Amino acid sequence: MTDVRITGGCQCGAVRYAVHETPYQVGICHCRMCQKAVGAPYFATFTVKNASLEWTRGVPAVFKSSANMERGFCRDCGTPLFNNWIPNDVVHPAIATLDDPSAVAPEYQSGIEARLAWTTDLSGLVAVSTDDAFKGYEALLTEIAATDHQHPDHDTEVWPPA
Amino acid sequence: MSEAGTRITGGCQCGAVRYALHEEPTDPHICHCRMCQKAFGSFFAPLAGVAVSAFELTRGEPAIFMSSDQTERGFCRNCGTPLTFHYVESPRIAVALGTLDEPETLAPRAQYGIERRLAWFAALPGLPGDRTTEEDDPALAGKIAATNHQHPDHDTAVWPPAGARSRGQGSARDD
Repeated sequence: MTDVRITGGCQCGAVRYAVHETPYQVGICHCRMCQKAVGAPYFATFTVKNASLEWTRGVPAVFKSSANMERGFCRDCGTPLFNNWIPNDVVHPAIATLDDPSAVAPEYQSGIEARLAWTTDLSGLVAVSTDDAFKGYEALLTEIAATDHQHPDHDTEVWPPA
Repeated sequence: MSEAGTRITGGCQCGAVRYALHEEPTDPHICHCRMCQKAFGSFFAPLAGVAVSAFELTRGEPAIFMSSDQTERGFCRNCGTPLTFHYVESPRIAVALGTLDEPETLAPRAQYGIERRLAWFAALPGLPGDRTTEEDDPALAGKIAATNHQHPDHDTAVWPPAGARSRGQGSARDD
């Protein structure tokens, strides 16, 4: 076991994990199977050895999108958590489920046969902050913040709070 | 009132949940906020909305996680696909663009939640990688295709196909 400990988990906090290895092979996959798994234009994952992935709370549910491909998710909140090609000794957790996703930048893209044309210029779209988007709806934003059921971006001793 | 003849379909990866939209979705966008990132296990949530009355579940129904008391996030309990976003008091509901049968037809026009946009987001389209899955690993692509459990990108009368084995959690190895 190394000293590396990088944590993450699902939205509701029922499933939490730690990886004990520096992430490598970081990329986004545009293939149609990955699109459907995340409901989004691509699945962004990193790679660690199976032995380096520790489930520290709960266990993911698994859907086998083909005979040897497991796709893990939280059965309580739906967050897509990982891909796992069973015959390999590595697993691919979802970058965005890390407590600090900014630390793991993608280095390549794959599955481009299904790449959606509109993914090429998303960063140039009109950009609005959450505060600006809720101008005139401040009460709703306050209510969301006051009743936020998302697990915080760090480990917790007890969840949900007593 | 739905627009006459409009019918836009989609659903989750396994096909347990299928829907039809009976009007053109509005405000297609991506949201980078941290709540959307976690719900989708992705850098952003891609969404577009219709009137609740124009959203029809044609097979199954989503499970709901309430990310706040105001916010329902629908997903497939069998395969995990994030499907919908709905403020409980709103007459509108949004669907995840990646779950549309033809996601290329609805391009986002705005991005929200930019306070949490990841620094390297703009660089993603330029990343190396210009090969298809077939080119990357044809043997692997062939194995996946031979046992593909994903629902096709169109409605089906019966799903899963007769004779197919269970695909959910704990399903038997079927290769």
